[in-house]
Amino acid sequence: MRRLNLYALTFRLPIIIWQTLFFIGPLIFVVAMSFFVVRNFQMVETFEFDSWKRMLSRDFVWDAYVYTVLMAGSAAILASLIAFPAAYCLAFQTSARTRQIAILLLIIPFFTSYLVRTFSWYTILAEAGVLNGAVGLVGLGPYTLLNTYVGTLIGYLTLVMPLVLILQTVTMANIDDRLIQAARNLGCSPARTIWTVILPAGKTGFVIAALFAFILSFGDFVAPFYLGGSNPPTLPILIIDTTKAGQQWPRAAVVAVIMMVTLFVIAFSAIMYAYRKRASR
Amino acid sequence: MTEPLVSLDKVEKRFDDFVAVREANLEIGAGEFIAIMGPSGCGKTTTLRMLAGLDAPTSGEIRIAGKLMNEVAAHERDTPMVWQSLALFPFLNARENVEFGLKMRGIDSDEREKRAMNWLDRMEIAEFAERNVETLSGGQRQRVALARALVTEPKLLLLDEPLSALDAHLVIRMQGVLTKLQKELGITFVYVTHSQSEAFAMADRVVIMSKGEIAQVGTPREVYRAPRTRFVAEFVGRNNILPGSVTSSDADQVTVETGLGTFSVPGVATIGTKASIVVAGDMMQVGRGENSVDATVISEEFVGSIVTAFLEAADGTELKVQVQERALADLDLQPGSKVTLHWATQDGHLLLEET
Repeated sequence: MRRLNLYALTFRLPIIIWQTLFFIGPLIFVVAMSFFVVRNFQMVETFEFDSWKRMLSRDFVWDAYVYTVLMAGSAAILASLIAFPAAYCLAFQTSARTRQIAILLLIIPFFTSYLVRTFSWYTILAEAGVLNGAVGLVGLGPYTLLNTYVGTLIGYLTLVMPLVLILQTVTMANIDDRLIQAARNLGCSPARTIWTVILPAGKTGFVIAALFAFILSFGDFVAPFYLGGSNPPTLPILIIDTTKAGQQWPRAAVVAVIMMVTLFVIAFSAIMYAYRKRASR
Repeated sequence: MTEPLVSLDKVEKRFDDFVAVREANLEIGAGEFIAIMGPSGCGKTTTLRMLAGLDAPTSGEIRIAGKLMNEVAAHERDTPMVWQSLALFPFLNARENVEFGLKMRGIDSDEREKRAMNWLDRMEIAEFAERNVETLSGGQRQRVALARALVTEPKLLLLDEPLSALDAHLVIRMQGVLTKLQKELGITFVYVTHSQSEAFAMADRVVIMSKGEIAQVGTPREVYRAPRTRFVAEFVGRNNILPGSVTSSDADQVTVETGLGTFSVPGVATIGTKASIVVAGDMMQVGRGENSVDATVISEEFVGSIVTAFLEAADGTELKVQVQERALADLDLQPGSKVTLHWATQDGHLLLEET
């Protein structure tokens, strides 16, 4: 037994060291830093609640918090809804070969930097951009899309859509086809099987896909900065602004800790929900 | 038979170049227990799926209760199926699984629960109604699957090798449950299986399929005692098949010259026809008699009270004889020993070669 444990440990050691050095270490440091104070533009290592008191008592922090949660939540829901028909099509109406090619094509967006993809949206969404040019031909617009929440949302969706689509496709392709046939055999129309079989059978995958969309959007800085114009600011933008303004690293750390606690709670609840089995009574 | 409940008229099913079912003609009466039997890939499951509407026939007509079903979608039929994999919904508990068909028919939840509980009770698993189906045993899951299929009170129940995943002793018990249910409900069961014992134990008539074609339809006894094709003779029971050709013909008896000698067999055939004599393993006896052949014992198969001995005749023909286990010691059927087998002419069956 002892030899076996050592053997297993040998393989686990790299990831344990990595996580300690680059995740748990910095995490502890960020939490510690949120209790430091800045005096005369110098960070003093102490244990005071100044930054916490200040940040928690300011409305703009809470406004940014609510706005970020709502926007990331909207992105998760929108991406899940928009991706679903395409994923359904890929999972059920195409051959395994077509599905493989489609998934490969969906990975290609990740080859280009997210920043580059965001900038290309810039040219599309701008006041004199491609989209307004097009609708202008039929006498509509121009619409202000850049520097609004619409721009931010489009940026978030650019980031998360391919991933959500891939996760949903794989989820549905792995649903036992015999369950769907059994439902049809029991009088369930093909459209109705979406509610009665596909959504419940693929619950884990759909929830995980939406969770990823939320996590990625929640922590994203690029979309709200370049397409949303930082107005209103999201929490990542608040962090950047706080560090720039008077070297307030402890206050930024407070925001970072709030974000991490939020993500932890949401991820934990989502995973509990996703993996919850039908209770036996 | 009066108006059949199910009729297949020249039904054919092709998957690209592969013919899964060819020119199938079959009539199934109301209240009949029909078993469709055959080796893997013989088209038995495809035939069942066509009855359920899960596969559409390429040509031919399928009628249920007189109505042409070719264009009727699966979910618009009342042909519930019990699946080999059971296909219970893992995200629903036992009762909700049973309620599924009723829910699809828009029956309100009180009535659904009442009828589902009634069926679970009948299946003797009411105490597990609220249990996650994944926590139930194989036999319990089987009963949930049966209740789910029967709760809508269909006229026709389709069963696709439903017992193949169960332990041997459970198979026997479930056979009893199924036979009793079918008698009580008086509905038609179409039961697909590769197991001869299941088919013979339960069915009124068996349909034997081979390579997409229906080889023979008849009562278990007919199929067992009077196989119509060589395939059926080989597939059913433990038959000795002696191929040859007809050399003389009487009123109701012919003589067939085979590699092991010339024997008489009841039947009618013209001289010169290629034909085989089929003698069931349990009709073969050790010793000398009316029709005798010499053979060497190769091996024996012990399945309890009956032992099948496999022998080889001088020309290499494989012979089988089934004897009672308790009689075995007196017969000297040890591997390697030379024995003489015989059978009564009346016990032989004439099999004409299909052209």
